[in-house]
Amino acid sequence: MQDKAKGTGGPRPWHRAVGSNIWYFFNSLKLTLFVLITLAVVSIFGTVVEQNLPVEEYLQKYGEKWTGYILTARINDMYHSYWFLALLALLALNIIVCTFERFPPKWKSLLNHKSEKFDVRLIDKFANHHTFEVAASTEAVKERVVNAFKKKKFDIITSGSGGEFRLYAWKGRIGRLGSDFTHISLLLILLGAIVGSFAGYKDFRAVFVGGEMSVPKADFRLKLEKFWIDYYDSGQIKQYNSLLTVIEDGKEVLKKQIWVNEPLYYKGIRFYQSSYGTAWNKVSEAEIAVKMKGKGQHGEPMLVKWEKLTPLAGTRYSVKLIGYAADFAYDEGTNQVFSKSAESNNPAIHLEIYDGEKLIATQWLFLKYPGIFPAIPNADEDLVFTGVRGIMYSGISINKDPGTNIVWAGSLVMGFGFILAFFVYHRRVWIVVRGSGKSTEVKLGGMINKNNLVFEKELKEIVESIGSEKAGGKL
Amino acid sequence: MILSLVFFTFSFVFYLVTALLYIGHWVFKKKWIGQTATAMAFVALLSTTMILVARAGESGHAPFSNLWESMMLFVWATNAGYLILEYKHKFRAIGAFVMGLEFIAMISVSLLPYRFKSAEPLNPALQNKWHWLMDVLRPFGLEKYAIGWLDFHVFTTFIGYAGFAISFGLSIIYLLKERSEAKGTKEGVMGAFPEARILDELSYRAIAWGFPFLATGIVSGAVWANYAWGTYWSWDPKETWSLITWFIYAAYLHARVTRGWRGKRAAYISIAGFLAVIFLYWGVSFVLPGLHAYAS
Repeated sequence: MQDKAKGTGGPRPWHRAVGSNIWYFFNSLKLTLFVLITLAVVSIFGTVVEQNLPVEEYLQKYGEKWTGYILTARINDMYHSYWFLALLALLALNIIVCTFERFPPKWKSLLNHKSEKFDVRLIDKFANHHTFEVAASTEAVKERVVNAFKKKKFDIITSGSGGEFRLYAWKGRIGRLGSDFTHISLLLILLGAIVGSFAGYKDFRAVFVGGEMSVPKADFRLKLEKFWIDYYDSGQIKQYNSLLTVIEDGKEVLKKQIWVNEPLYYKGIRFYQSSYGTAWNKVSEAEIAVKMKGKGQHGEPMLVKWEKLTPLAGTRYSVKLIGYAADFAYDEGTNQVFSKSAESNNPAIHLEIYDGEKLIATQWLFLKYPGIFPAIPNADEDLVFTGVRGIMYSGISINKDPGTNIVWAGSLVMGFGFILAFFVYHRRVWIVVRGSGKSTEVKLGGMINKNNLVFEKELKEIVESIGSEKAGGKL
Repeated sequence: MILSLVFFTFSFVFYLVTALLYIGHWVFKKKWIGQTATAMAFVALLSTTMILVARAGESGHAPFSNLWESMMLFVWATNAGYLILEYKHKFRAIGAFVMGLEFIAMISVSLLPYRFKSAEPLNPALQNKWHWLMDVLRPFGLEKYAIGWLDFHVFTTFIGYAGFAISFGLSIIYLLKERSEAKGTKEGVMGAFPEARILDELSYRAIAWGFPFLATGIVSGAVWANYAWGTYWSWDPKETWSLITWFIYAAYLHARVTRGWRGKRAAYISIAGFLAVIFLYWGVSFVLPGLHAYAS
């Protein structure tokens, strides 16, 4: 571009000059090297400093001063920081400008390569060139040259006649496009990442066995039918499984078992098995026993189902299980009961107690502290909470990323580009076959865009096969 | 005793003998030593293959799931890659460096504590199998031997590493040879090696194999991550370091386009690249936290 700009001659308007300088800046290979090496070096920081920790942990690890630097330079979330993204953008711009600058002339020369004039004297200037004589007629030698190149899968054209032929042979032109495909594939992958970050989302839901979960920005729900763990014979965990049903418009449309490495894919959203546990705020059943006040022993425990009015045998009371906390805690501010953790440190159940049809009390009962509050006011009987049957929940990660397919498409293009760039070499050979009395002189020389060792060997074999064919023999 | 570890012991001796033979060939320049060295390299390759086969039988899955198994794959791929190079270009002296590197790899693996060597069943995150392959193998009852993205990911990555290892060996030889050529000495210790210009070209060829395979390894790892964790890229230290390595070799390839960056400078980048590979492989696994950490 700089050369072109110089070529136009005369003073240029300032915006042209600035524009061309910017263009020149982005068109340089030095910039590519600078960005690649800078990216390599700065990326190290993000692997040494753990990403996305709470600020307190940075303070603890690095002290106040360094934490300040880390936060200012956004090294705590480095790969999403404006300056890291700017480096990636610089690389992308570099790729775009270089492609615009280099692809069209390359494409043109690849299409028009046959019409390029060549100077016979230039043949000797190539790093790979041979001159030799063959004891055969010019016409026959020309045929041999053509055959020798065709055998090596070259394309070849001939011009001239009689005493002098000029030939041009080529192979692997498409290899030249490898770098362009690779560069475009990188842009595609970046595009996929951008699309994903704008049009996609990530979320998480814990869903109880038998329960349903909503899906953000979607018109269907999921029901967890079952959650289970598979074990190896040795006792190690083999796999976590959830059986999910997709419910759309009140109808079950799809049933699928998911496990780690096998997500459910429905309407562009993926659902992953990502964790599990026992519910902290719900149980399927609780065991409750009746105890006569003043007596030490309680009776046989009875099973009370969640939110189902259950008569207690041998009494006139019924109970309904309406709440559970695995690690009971009480918030005075909001006057609410909650579970401090998911662990069963202090399990408690919330019961409604009915005398016949009439609600007479609601009470919390504690597994570890039986009888600290009488369950039924003014009665001879008391209730004891002796155990629960927990409900498992399955942790489902939700991920919608419409950019993923663009990334995969980019990866395929990259693979194709690599095959062309690294394993298809563009070779061009110019040949002159000239008769001089009884023998014929062959002069050939050419070049390859990479892997010169292969070319050297190939050209030697071609020369040998031209020189030694049948009755021919070298002079 | 586990059969794969028996084969390991054999292989350890084989690599020692192979490396010594190649060094002997380099120093004494006797053809028969070189031929014996090549034969021993084949024996070592066969023995390494047996380690992998035996391990697959013991663990019931492709033998790529812990540090020891992956190192065996690395040793195997480097050996195979070197033999291809030797067959294609007929330069035997290079074997002294590559097989020396192989033996160092064997020593470092043998020093690993037992928990990195034992055959373990796959944990949930590592179980990724191609459904189509399972369907193909099911009629024969071989379903459990189906492989998937994880195996493909490890395999392609290690072919990449092998390419870089060979290029590293060639770059060191290049630097030594270049110095002796500059002094004008044709004979002597470095006389057995091909010309510097050829070493430079071969080093580049090894990277030209390693680079696309590392890229394939990164991409197939991303595909697997997308199945296992729901995201194809999470800037995990291993992922990031693989990208760092990839950037270094990308810089190498682009630098080669300009003539000035061939030879010495290219050799330095290749060496830096392989140091990054070593850190990516061992350093990240033991020093940095993340999904690929072996140490935890």
